[in-house]
Order: sequence, then structure tokens, then C-alpha cells
Amino acid sequence: MKFKAKCKSFFVKLKNKFVNFIKQLPFKFKSKFAGAKEIITQGNGKVMSSFAVMGLGQLLYKQWAKGALFLLLQAGFILYFVLSGAADLFGLFTLGQVQGDAWYGIEGDNSVVMMLMGILAVIMIIFYAVIYTANIKDVYRTQCCADTLKPAAGFKKEVSSLLDKNFHKTALTLPVIGVCVFSILPIVFMILIAFTNYGGANIPPALVDWVGFENFGRIFSLGEFAPTFFKIFGWNLLWALLSTAINYFGGLGLALLLNKKCVKGKAIWRAFPILAYAIPGFITLLGFKFMFSYGGPINYYIQAAGGEAVGFLSVNSKWMARFIGLGVNAWISIPSTMLLATGILSNINTDLYEAARVDGASSWKQFIKITLPYVLFATTPVLITQFINNFNHFGIFYFLRDASIRSEGYFLANNTDLLINWLYRMSIDNNYYSIGAAISLVIFIITSLISLTVYVLSPSYKQEETFR
Amino acid sequence: MNKAKAKVAKAKTKKVLNVAITYCILIVVAFIFFFPCLWLILASFSKSGSIYSFDGFFPSEYGFDAFKSLFTDTVMYNYPKWFLNTLFIAVMSCLFGTLLTILTAYCMSRFRFKSRKAMMKATLLLGMFPSFMGTIAVYLIMTQFNLINQQWGLILIYSAQAPMGYMVQKGFFDTIPYSIDEAARIDGASNFTVFVKFILPLSKPMLVYTALTSFTWPWSDFILPKMLLIDKDLYTVAVGLMSLGETEFARFAAGSIFIAIPIIVLYFCLVKYMINGMAAGAVKE
Repeated sequence: MKFKAKCKSFFVKLKNKFVNFIKQLPFKFKSKFAGAKEIITQGNGKVMSSFAVMGLGQLLYKQWAKGALFLLLQAGFILYFVLSGAADLFGLFTLGQVQGDAWYGIEGDNSVVMMLMGILAVIMIIFYAVIYTANIKDVYRTQCCADTLKPAAGFKKEVSSLLDKNFHKTALTLPVIGVCVFSILPIVFMILIAFTNYGGANIPPALVDWVGFENFGRIFSLGEFAPTFFKIFGWNLLWALLSTAINYFGGLGLALLLNKKCVKGKAIWRAFPILAYAIPGFITLLGFKFMFSYGGPINYYIQAAGGEAVGFLSVNSKWMARFIGLGVNAWISIPSTMLLATGILSNINTDLYEAARVDGASSWKQFIKITLPYVLFATTPVLITQFINNFNHFGIFYFLRDASIRSEGYFLANNTDLLINWLYRMSIDNNYYSIGAAISLVIFIITSLISLTVYVLSPSYKQEETFR
Repeated sequence: MNKAKAKVAKAKTKKVLNVAITYCILIVVAFIFFFPCLWLILASFSKSGSIYSFDGFFPSEYGFDAFKSLFTDTVMYNYPKWFLNTLFIAVMSCLFGTLLTILTAYCMSRFRFKSRKAMMKATLLLGMFPSFMGTIAVYLIMTQFNLINQQWGLILIYSAQAPMGYMVQKGFFDTIPYSIDEAARIDGASNFTVFVKFILPLSKPMLVYTALTSFTWPWSDFILPKMLLIDKDLYTVAVGLMSLGETEFARFAAGSIFIAIPIIVLYFCLVKYMINGMAAGAVKE
């Protein structure tokens, strides 16, 4: 009941927030453009000249170095735009028009590369816009200084401010560029791919085209993909819930056990889980695969006892393979949760326990009333990340089961595959790029919805100050 | 009098039982975590190498053949080369990745600039995308830049993607009091000097934690190297070991031990920093 009320209030609040956001939008825009309006109405000829040619205003104010720098940047951008940027941007919309033909020696358009370069062009234009506004603001600032007869900051001073007041600009340039090219660009690319017919037989040199929401329709409505999608999705959700719960409470329990006063030689006991933690994941997974294989040690003992070899991870095992997956994942992940919980437990105010003991609370009560709320409070964000990581746990079944296993009733997948494994098989192994991209978009929407809801409902969000 | 004595005795047996159960569970846990490791170590000393010649968990004959062939028989599987490749890639990515992550986290923690909130939200959102969803795009980008089949390409990707995980480090920097910055700035230090001379020395645990995580990722990653490295001589250990079959089990075990040892040693030396780092990041995240 309480949960229901919470959910309801959450959605009501969400609606109110949304309405407020829409109402405030015009004001926000106004305040954003107030500065621009001021510059346009108050700016003198020199400022205007910077509007036309970046850096010209600075040059007119005799700021040679800065002006030349802006001028150079503008020249570079124009050069890029003329040489490739404009064509790339155009290509983003058409995705190529010339079909390649080896027979006639026609070099066709590579739609996929065109899309990639098109997105890159958009990012470049955004960068240029940022620099352009910086240029205008800069010259306007100089004008203000000149009007009030204050000396404007020299070039040397401004450069040295890059290590002081504007240190963040210097420091963040490289990370921002890196993230843009290697994180944002690929993600935007994949999102766009989900709306094209790229994949199957339709890969370059064939031309790729925009198809709208067709791929999503193929996943959800009846067809080759829909039954597989829902089967895998159900198991994936169950897997994420179970493995997160097992790892979390396993790790917490272990940390509490090691935290007991009667345990001597804590460092030694702790060393064993850390050993498991430190071994690279793929080694552990391949090792366990060998352990449960037909010729592996476990089957050796079964056979020695007169039984028949069991294919723990072979085609016919469903729940067996799933349970092994859960166990192996616990083996890998519990140590890290244990380390985290150890760190958090050492931060609990011991006065709380003292008071509880004076009041005669049992140790179980102490755990329920003090330890668990505190740890839950402190680890909610981590719990959400762990849930998402488990939801998208690629490695576990990729390594444990043979890549060639296909289960009946599944399209290009087997019964332990998670959505992410299916995605991999579809896009990397079988060229179904657009369907794969659509699936990953669905995964993203599901995970972000779940984690957002959990986060907003969690105590760490609502009562930020409880345990401070 | 007697009653009180009985009560004390009862409490004592309860306590002893409690301790006994605790130790029993600990022993079981230690066994569960240690046994697979022990099995791998034993397997690496197996003489014949194939998993089919084992007596259950234990090799039938012991010898150093697996280690010998690992380093001498390099025609098919050039393990020493793989190891050096992995080391090079991991060390380089660790250096650049740590630098970028720490810088990002420091700026996000200490500076209040216009696009800060937007950037934080964006990274949170981007983090929810399935991480290798973009690998196809990354692959295409690398072909465009001509960085396929080159180690620097991998280093570039690892370092460039590292700043996305700046949250833990930001949480740590948030706990360093501002008064340190202010005092230094009154003495005329620039923000850069404050960062290098005051903040960095204070954040050793976080530096260690960051370096360790950005080292282990390339050290044990397999998706990107498998995709981007084509020549067998350029393989990393993860890709190379994956190409070994069941008949080469001893060699797999021996190779695994060599790649696991550096990380294990690092973890045990730095476990204290790890716990502090994780806890600091978690509470403030």
C-alpha cells in the first residue's frame, strides 16, 4: 500500500514538474538570449565586424595574437566545411545516392561511412558555434573595457588565466573531445542506425536508407524477432534481479561476518575473496567452462561414481546452465560488494550501536534497524549501477556456453542469452545491424526507466541528510 | 547462586557456538573462493596438458612442460609477445586514462561553470547505454582514422572513454575541504598550482584506485582487442588465450597465472586504498 502511494505521488510530481518546465521555458529562453540582445543593440562597429569575420573585432582593438588565433580557427573551419563538411552534412540526410558497381567501375557511396562523417560534421559545427559565441562575447567585453577606459586584459594574462581562473577550460578540452568522438558519436550513430535498413543483405556497397520505426515494429509485433525478444527479455529481467540480490546480500553478509569481533586474522580471511576478485574475468569464466565441460573434473567424478556425464552447459540444459551462470557471477561479483560494504560499515557511527545495546536490542534488531538502512542508503546508487551491469552482463554466457549453441524457439539465440548477447549475435555475427541497434535502444530505455524510478523512490534521493 | 552460574555457562556455550559457526562459514567461503584458483595452479603443472588426461581436479602427472612451451613454443601461440602487447597497452591507457579522469573529476568538483550540470546529466545518461552498443561505430571510426590493427588505436579508445567514469573520483574530491583551496589561493597560488601541489598529494588513495581500475580494464578486456587487432602478433593475452582449445588446457592455465599475478599483487598491496576509494565514491555519488 505504501509503495503504491509512493509510486502515485512520484508520477503526480513528475507531471507537475513537467508542466512547470513547459511554463518556464519561454522565460528561460528570454534570459538566455538577453545577453545576445544586449550585444546586438549595444555593440559598436568593431563588435559587428566580429560577427562577420571571427577575430576582426579583436584585430581592430589591436589584440593581434588573439585576433589572429580566431581568424585562423575560422579559416580552418571554412576550409574543413568546403572540403568535406558540407558534403558530409548533406550525406547524413541522403545516405548516398550513387550505387556502387564493380562491373562498370563506379565507386558508389558508402552510406554507413557517410552517416558517421555526417554526425562528425554536426559535432564540428557545434564546436564551431561555441567558439563563435566565445569570440563575440570576448570582443564585447573588450568594448566594455574600452568604453569605461579600463585597460583590457592582455593576451599574456589571458593565456595565464587558462591555468588559473579558466583552468577548467584547459583541463576539460581533451576529455570532452575524447568523449565526443569515442562515446557520444558511436551512441548517436547507433541510435540513428536503428531507424535505417542497414543490415542483412543490405550492407555497403548497397545503399542504406531511412525507414522510420519499422525495426521497432519488427521486434514487437509478430514476426521472426518478437517471440525471441519477449522470451529473452523475461529471463534477462529475472537474471538481473536475482544476480543483483545474490551479489548484494552475499557481499554484505560476508562483510558483516568478517566484521565480527570474534574473527581473528581478518586480513587472511579477506584475502581469499580478493584473490577471486583480482583474477581477470575472462580467465575465471573460461576456467569454470572447463570445469563444467564434458571432459571436466565434475563429470569425471560423476562418471567415477557410476553416473553418466552431464552436459551442464550444453544445448539441452536450460535451468542448469542458468543456475551455473548465477553461481559463477556470484563468485566473481561478491568480493567487490564485500570490499564496498567493508568500507561503508567502517563509516557507521558506533554510538548508534552503543545506544541500541543499552536499550537491550538484540543483534538481529540492530542489524535490521541500524546496519541495513544505513548500508542501503549509502549504496543505492551502486545498487542501481550493479543492476544495470548485471542486466547487460555480456561476458558470462558468452564465455560459459559455446557460441554455436542455438535453442529451439529462439531466433539466432539460446535459452541463456541475455538481450545483450542476442544483440551481439545479431549485429556482429549475423549482420542484422539495424535490428541490433533497435534492440539496444530498447535496452537503454528499459534500464534507464528502471534505474530512474528506483533512484527517485530511494531514500538516498529523498533524505539526503539523514545520516550526515 | 547456582542459577546465575548456569546462566553464565549458557551464555558462554552460546558464545562458543557462535564463534564456531562463524569460523565454519568462513572456512567454507575461503574454500569456495580458493579452490578454483588452486585448480588452475595445479593444472598449469600438468604434464600432458589436455583436460581429458586429468584425474578429476588433479593432473595425473606433474611437470613444468606447460610453462616451458608457453615461453619457447611461440610459432602458433606467441605468448611472450602477447604479454608485452598487453602490458604496453594497459600501461599507456592507464597513464592517459588516469590523467584525463582525474582532471575531469577535479573540474567537476571545484569549478562552477555554465554547462556543468548539463554535462553531469549527459554522462549519467550516456552511462546507461549498453557499453559495446557503439563498438560497430568505433570500429568504423578506427577504419576511417586508419587505426585498425594498431595498438595505439586501442590506447586511444581506452583513454578517451575513461573520463566517462569520473563520478567516484568527483565524490572523493568533494570530501576535500574547500578551505585548503582558499588558503592556498590567498597565498597567490593559481588553480593549477593548487591542483598539483595541494589536491593531488591529498588524493593518493583516489589516484591509486583510478590507476588500478584503468589498468585492469585494458588488461583483461577482450571485445575491443578481438575486434580491432587482426595480426596474431598484435594480440593481447585475453584474445590469445581465448583461441586455445581444451587440449591446451595446461597452457591456458599457465598463461592465466602469469596474467593474473601482476593484478593480484597490485590488489593486495593497494586493498586499503581500494576500500577507502570505493566507500568515498559510493556515499557521495
